[in-house]
Amino acid sequence: MRRVILAIVGTAAGLVVLLSFKTHSTSAAATPPAAISGTSGTSGTSGQASTPAGSSGGSSSSSASSSPSSIAGAAKTVTGTAADTIYGPVQVQITVKNGKVTAAQAVQYPQGSPRDQQINSYAIPVLNQEAVSASSASIDAVSGATYTSGGYVTSLQSALDKAAL
Amino acid sequence: MRHNWIMSSTTMAPRHGYLATGAPGPSPAGPPRTQPATVLTVIAAGALAAILLWWHQTPSIHGLGDWLTNAGRLTGLLAGYGVVVLVALMARLPPLERGVGADQLARWHAMGGRYTVCLVVTHALLITWGYAVTAHTGIISQANALLMSYPDVLMATVGALLFVGVGISSARAARRRLRYETWYYLHFYTYLAIALAFSHQFAVGAQFMTSLPARVFWGGLYACVAAAILWYRFVTPARQAARHRMRVISVRREAPGVVSVVIGGRHLQELRAESGQFFRWRFLARGLWWVSSPYSLSAPPEPGRLRITVKALGEHSHALARLRPGTRVLAEGPYGALTSAMRSQRRVLLIAGGVGITPMRALFQTLPARPGDLTLVYRASEPGDVVFRDELERLARARGARLFFVVGRRADLGQDPLSAATLRARIPGLDQHDVYVCGPAGMTSAVIRELRTAGVHRRHIHHESFEF
Repeated sequence: MRRVILAIVGTAAGLVVLLSFKTHSTSAAATPPAAISGTSGTSGTSGQASTPAGSSGGSSSSSASSSPSSIAGAAKTVTGTAADTIYGPVQVQITVKNGKVTAAQAVQYPQGSPRDQQINSYAIPVLNQEAVSASSASIDAVSGATYTSGGYVTSLQSALDKAAL
Repeated sequence: MRHNWIMSSTTMAPRHGYLATGAPGPSPAGPPRTQPATVLTVIAAGALAAILLWWHQTPSIHGLGDWLTNAGRLTGLLAGYGVVVLVALMARLPPLERGVGADQLARWHAMGGRYTVCLVVTHALLITWGYAVTAHTGIISQANALLMSYPDVLMATVGALLFVGVGISSARAARRRLRYETWYYLHFYTYLAIALAFSHQFAVGAQFMTSLPARVFWGGLYACVAAAILWYRFVTPARQAARHRMRVISVRREAPGVVSVVIGGRHLQELRAESGQFFRWRFLARGLWWVSSPYSLSAPPEPGRLRITVKALGEHSHALARLRPGTRVLAEGPYGALTSAMRSQRRVLLIAGGVGITPMRALFQTLPARPGDLTLVYRASEPGDVVFRDELERLARARGARLFFVVGRRADLGQDPLSAATLRARIPGLDQHDVYVCGPAGMTSAVIRELRTAGVHRRHIHHESFEF
């Protein structure tokens, strides 16, 4: 009986210790880590090449007219580069008006597995909301959606850069 | 209570020497044996590797959902690893069988099995809860989503339920509420359970979905253990059957409900069986062929002949009395670590309880010892239960060994006849003996406790008990 209790307590304690080490390391880094630090850089260059092609649809006119951004009052839509995460790319599109983000949406995010669908169906709306209210890329990660949050922030930042915000 | 110790032969050495000369210390290089400590270290290292895999792949944890999910992943990883270890322990790997012993392996297996079943259940609960928190849904709807839309999770859940079922059946079997044979066959469902649960690890397991090396390593681990099971539990017995062609030579009644079966075969010396070891026997007779049971050799293996002695404890052992000479026999083995290889002291005490006399009888004949260095204490509840009386007395005389019969029910004796004080009084220099104990589980653990009290070092106590 003593052995049983020892096994249960030992396992539980071990789990708590392991998990709290991981928790500790995050609170130090206020912003969520970008999915994979290397890929956001590489996908930045390759993504920029592909973005005009990708955005040649509805948002191309506004995206292309990013240089005359000084026209006040005109809303424009900018699509960020796709940021790769281990579960798939995340790509954010924002609408900017008067130097403020008025709308944000993910045009691409991982939906490959039921788990991705479950998590992102909750996380993406939250991230969109955060992007609008912050008008910057310093937004909180959604718990449980660390990778998506990381990719979202990376792509959002590139969209903000393009919109010269 | 001195009077219930009946000394059966004098300590005086016979003038014409002895059967084997005393050669204490490690036995000459025999078949490979793995030390129990080595086995435990390897198991622990593997568990650590599984934890490191998680550590390496987990970026950081935010919030309750992540906490629960990661706790679920860790328990899942450890359960997936535990299952492999449990099967490997039962794979009849010869170095483990000879170095650790089937009895100890079975105890580890039972202990680890309970632990692993708990891990499996915890894993399922934590993952469901954690996913529900992250996805902001209820537990029930999350469980439903997991079962219905997550690949292979339904299958894994069926596997987990089988694990729990087998765990419960083992607990019942241990309490003797289930027949040995039923339990034995129920245990085969664990293979099905492992097969069912395997694929979900790669399909939805966070540690494996994204890492090919992890998948290769984990898959390799399962494949190796599966290969070991196939080889040592199926191929080797089939080869042995073809090579040795064993048959029953004779059946002899030793005492009420106790029979000896002599089995003959070809090339038996190639098996390298030792005194103190056992085989798993399968007698190809009506009502017997479908189960294999472990019985110790009750005499040292001779060229072309093996002898076992069986007490009717279950249905199977009861039917052995009706075996006919010529019946074909399949034997798996030899197994068991209770051999002369355990020996490290000059003097040896053998303690047998009931039908636990069988391996002791074989050791009593072949353990290297000078006259006066070897003692056998044979504990039996009733005079009628004592078997091999003549053989043992003859051996004792020939080897100059001491032989005690300690007969009577404990309640009638009024006191433990194998207490620390009695043992110390009867066996001079008890703490300088290697002590081999074999008997029913309760008796074995009681004797070990008394021996420890009497100052015998744990390393010098070697035991086996015939549970299943």
